[in-house]
Amino acid sequence: MSLTKKKKSGGQRLTRAYRTKRRTRDLDQIFEDLQPVNLTKLVMPTEDPDLPGLGQHYCIECSRHFIDAHTLTQHRRTKDHKKRVKALRETPYSQKEAEAAAGLFTDNGPGRSTKPGDFPTLTPGKPTVSPPPPTAAGAAMDLA
Amino acid sequence: MRIEKCYFCSASVYPGHGITFVRNDSKIFRFCRSKCHKNFKMKRAPRKMRWTKAFRRAAGKEMTIDKSLEFEKRRNIPVRYDRELMATTLKAMKRIQEIRAKREDAFYKNRMATSKEFKKEHDLREVQTGIELVGAYTEEAKDAMVAVKNKVAQKQQLVAAAGGHRAAARAKEAAAGADNTMEED
Repeated sequence: MSLTKKKKSGGQRLTRAYRTKRRTRDLDQIFEDLQPVNLTKLVMPTEDPDLPGLGQHYCIECSRHFIDAHTLTQHRRTKDHKKRVKALRETPYSQKEAEAAAGLFTDNGPGRSTKPGDFPTLTPGKPTVSPPPPTAAGAAMDLA
Repeated sequence: MRIEKCYFCSASVYPGHGITFVRNDSKIFRFCRSKCHKNFKMKRAPRKMRWTKAFRRAAGKEMTIDKSLEFEKRRNIPVRYDRELMATTLKAMKRIQEIRAKREDAFYKNRMATSKEFKKEHDLREVQTGIELVGAYTEEAKDAMVAVKNKVAQKQQLVAAAGGHRAAARAKEAAAGADNTMEED
């Protein structure tokens, strides 16, 4: 028998990552975190010795703790983080949207019901919030 | 008892089917089958998966604005049982289903009406831009193609002369059988 550790196969690694106990925060939860009401708590966290960096360097968008400010700023420059920020611009998917897609709406009497008009054209991948203003470099590219 | 909708693909989840996941903030997610559950665990976005209703609706693949779609409702205020109302509802359900099927069919046909032109345009563009990728347009390849075609035509003529494919095959089999018996002898 060889002494080298056998590399775990993708399937096993992934099933372990997908376990409920390893579940990370969902996009809709993070979307809630980013609301001004909840944001204040996360920006000024209390010290927690169980967390990396005493829980002082937290990336809200990715729901990850970092050991110091430097790693956090470095993380903010990564593609993963930027992708996450982009994904959070849209309103998160919900059970309501799933039901609307199946043509199921609620009828709780006048004023408390949902109609097909409540879910307008939900173009996939299109941000519901207006995109950031074009940069000078982008404008130059357009002109060229 | 309620027929719920799948969180991922919006299919109906009947009692005793699928799986329910309750997140630690007590939010409930219902899934119609393991496919949807697995996709959820992988954190895939239902809006981006092409097979979900959410995608199909948003991308204009299915009829969204129609009176016939507005009958299914989640009613949280119970309606008192009325035999006559039940009878008329049941009758109406069948009729609505018919109308809906017809309209959906019309919607699909309308959506597909332009697809042929699009496809032709796409094909033409592909031929114009990538013709050099096809070897068949060199002179040698053309000659080879003609030769193959001639050969096939000749063979077909021969077969026809022998009385068709089946007759030819039978004759071949018979000949082979005769050979076998002779060997056994």
